[in-house]
Amino acid sequence: MVDATSLSEPELTESRPRGGRLATLFRRSESLRGYALLSPTLAVMALAMCAPTAMMVALSFWVQSGFDITMTFTLDNYAKVFTNPIFEALFLRTLMISGTCALATVLISYPMAYYVAFHVHRRKLAWVIMMTLPFWTSYLLRVFSWKVVLGYNGAINSGLMSLGLISEPLEFLLYSPEAVIITLAHAWAAFAILPIYVSLEKIDRSLLEAAADLGDGAVARFLRITLPLSMPGVIAALLLIFIPTFGDFVTPALVGGPDGMMLANIVQKMFGKLNDWPLGSALAISMMIIVSIMCGGLIWVTRQIKERAI
Amino acid sequence: MQIKDKVKAFHDGALSRRDMLNGLAAIGVGVAMAPILPRTARAAGSDAIYFTWGGYDIPDLFKPYIEKHGEAPSFATFGGSEEGLTKMRAGYVVDVSHPCNQAVPRWVATGLFQTADPSRLSNWSDVIPSLYELEGNMADGRPYMVPMEWGQTSVTYRTDLVDLQGEPESWGILWDERYKGRLGSLASAADAWWVGAIYAGVDFENMASDEAFEKIAAVMREQRPLIRTYTDETTSLEQALASGEMVAAMTWNESAAALKNQGLPVKFAAPKEGALTWVCGAMIHKEAPNIDLAHDIIDSLISTDTGKFLIGEYGYGHSNAKSFEAFSEEDLAAKGLSSNPNDILAAGKFQIPQSQEFETRMNQEFENIKAGF
Amino acid sequence: MSAGGYMHRPNRPLMVYAIGYLAFLYMPILLLPLFSFNDAIYIAFPLKAFTTQWYQQMFANDAMHAALMNSVQVGVSASVLATILGIFGAKAVTRFRIKGVKPVLGVVMLPLVIPPIIMGVALLILLSQMGIPLSLITVTVGHVLICVPFSIVTLMASFEGFDKSMEEAAADLGDNAWWIFWRVTFPMVFPGILASLLLCFTISFDEFIMAFFLAGTDPTLPIFIYGQLRFPQKLPGVLALGTCIVAVTFTVVFLAQWLRGRGPTAPKTEGN
Repeated sequence: MVDATSLSEPELTESRPRGGRLATLFRRSESLRGYALLSPTLAVMALAMCAPTAMMVALSFWVQSGFDITMTFTLDNYAKVFTNPIFEALFLRTLMISGTCALATVLISYPMAYYVAFHVHRRKLAWVIMMTLPFWTSYLLRVFSWKVVLGYNGAINSGLMSLGLISEPLEFLLYSPEAVIITLAHAWAAFAILPIYVSLEKIDRSLLEAAADLGDGAVARFLRITLPLSMPGVIAALLLIFIPTFGDFVTPALVGGPDGMMLANIVQKMFGKLNDWPLGSALAISMMIIVSIMCGGLIWVTRQIKERAI
Repeated sequence: MQIKDKVKAFHDGALSRRDMLNGLAAIGVGVAMAPILPRTARAAGSDAIYFTWGGYDIPDLFKPYIEKHGEAPSFATFGGSEEGLTKMRAGYVVDVSHPCNQAVPRWVATGLFQTADPSRLSNWSDVIPSLYELEGNMADGRPYMVPMEWGQTSVTYRTDLVDLQGEPESWGILWDERYKGRLGSLASAADAWWVGAIYAGVDFENMASDEAFEKIAAVMREQRPLIRTYTDETTSLEQALASGEMVAAMTWNESAAALKNQGLPVKFAAPKEGALTWVCGAMIHKEAPNIDLAHDIIDSLISTDTGKFLIGEYGYGHSNAKSFEAFSEEDLAAKGLSSNPNDILAAGKFQIPQSQEFETRMNQEFENIKAGF
Repeated sequence: MSAGGYMHRPNRPLMVYAIGYLAFLYMPILLLPLFSFNDAIYIAFPLKAFTTQWYQQMFANDAMHAALMNSVQVGVSASVLATILGIFGAKAVTRFRIKGVKPVLGVVMLPLVIPPIIMGVALLILLSQMGIPLSLITVTVGHVLICVPFSIVTLMASFEGFDKSMEEAAADLGDNAWWIFWRVTFPMVFPGILASLLLCFTISFDEFIMAFFLAGTDPTLPIFIYGQLRFPQKLPGVLALGTCIVAVTFTVVFLAQWLRGRGPTAPKTEGN
């Protein structure tokens, strides 16, 4: 298999004009060819994102005065972000909520993705679509449904009461951080199943069969082959859930109650009623940096584990 | 295993291009069905835009306008007027938008709006003056916000779940320990903070003093552990009242009317301390491209046709005094209105516009309290 | 090689789990039809009486249909465009060792971490400065931006560990690059492409805040629905619509599967 690599290089670029130093350079440099392939995506994203990013960064160093922005450089906004105890409390709560949500969603979704990838042999497509269908109804409607399920007089409380398991309705089920976690875990389920499913589906079945032939049991096969090979999907799912839920504001506003507010709700308010765009921007940038560091850390740790394993 | 075999195996694998073609076929069926559903025709380009809540984007409010121009204006909708203001501050230009009185000074301060010309409004003479003669609303005899609908902020409570124990109705229901975790409140300080002032006995004239500020902050802190949720979506509060999740909540009057229509045992309290009165209306954007149409939109909104609809269907008061003539006294009383709207307006309390600094301080403090600090 | 192998043995506990999981996914969705036939405007127990009036209201509500069609249009365009951009990005990053690609990739991932309200406000400021009127196209552009990171991450999982030798084997046979992509790469990463399309459509179909800032007078479905929050009278109509969306998509998926099952190329065996 290895020798095929060197063999095919000229073939891939056969259609390109030969001769000329640029062309040669292009063919030799993997980076250049990579950037060429990346360029459409990069161009679109860089063009479209430079305005929001620049605005956010600039705003964060300016000051709001009334409905105008005073353009004098200041670090006050960042000082506020890192000294105000509210932001710290909200940050920890947000971290707890979105971290729990990402982990829980990935854990409960993994067996499902595994089932579809390995034990469903016909109508796979139907299964995959079945798992995304629930999310094509409006989020607001699903939240209303959750309120009916979790509410004071809701389905769960009524059920538990009639079974005699509780005498008073459980109040923490709705308008609480727990409610935010449950609702988010449901809302982001597809974002865990699909990436994990994709990475499981890709696993070469002959590897598993070879391991079976060598006498590995089901558990050993899973731990030695399936799980490590599906890690890219698991990591992708963790990130795809953790990052957006860290910035979610709709769910806490709808089911969080006063104790379930998250950081993004404050950012949202800074751009509305609280009317402090610069502070909102500084808060958002701080959030971004912290989230990026944490995600980078996660990727780094998994890579370390992977390398040590090898 | 040969590589080429592997390539072939993938071709025939579990999810092949055949599956994809199936998927495409499914999408195709969906898209093909799209034209079956009717689409609203939208007149091209030049018509005026009214930027408002969903629910005001209906032809029923524009009978005179439609008679004159053949069709209703275009609508852009928001879920809350603050989001609407943020969108306009970011550069979205409309002809007319829809603020409420407590926000008017802030909207004016953005410099994004212009006054309306009363001489171009045929219904202006019938508009109840106390609704537009609000502080900060008039400039050179011209109003920024032309009032359309008004009502009250008070407590809507479940008569089967709240026991008044013979006491008169009071804002105290929302501070009653017995209903801990079963009470709801509007989330914006523009409503809640002023209710706190009423409950704390602060005179609106002294709102901005430090002493009053501390007093109000104290009662808001006292209330915080009792509140199930703060929200600005009336729908959420109504759903919670309908299911019994909440026994009482701070709402506008349409919530009580809607719940009653559904046969639920609720009452819109007339608190002994006095209810908070609000009024919303239309404001013209500074760069409105169709200034004539903008005035026609507003004239339509303050017409008796619109008034009858708003009173009858939404349970609001209307700014046109003549709109009330079509309703019997009992009808109006049941909605918490009166054939002499000035009576109600005189009994209610209007917010007094405050400085931007005060607004910011109030909003920040209320956010802190809501977050548990 | 053991033909079929252990994977074909049914796994009962896992199947029970899968059914339980689907129940969790569908529980809140199955309440929608229940309340869409309930004669009350509030989504709350106890149920009152059976009615079909919300379906009549739904069919009579032109504005809602327009909003639905707008959302479908935006969702389909945004998911296709984002997935195409995602394929370029994911392929480039996984196929080539590119110097300094990490910070560059960071730019592409930015929309994932910038709060949507800031994206919305900033893009709106940009558009109004440039004098571009708001329309469904501007909403689509906004949604493409937030979908691309999801698409790339999903597709990278699919391209990663992708056996280059297969493309190269095809190249050996003298196929050109596009043909190789279509015959070799595409089928192998097809699950990833499908996942990306589904995820992007789901995001766009439900996205509210960017759509709010970037839409003109044509609302998407979420804008329409959030607009109903002050007056809940029309919400049951939305409930009926949600029920219909689920019912129609279900029917279409099963119809497609049924047609396929009847075709000449019915079940194949896995592996070789």
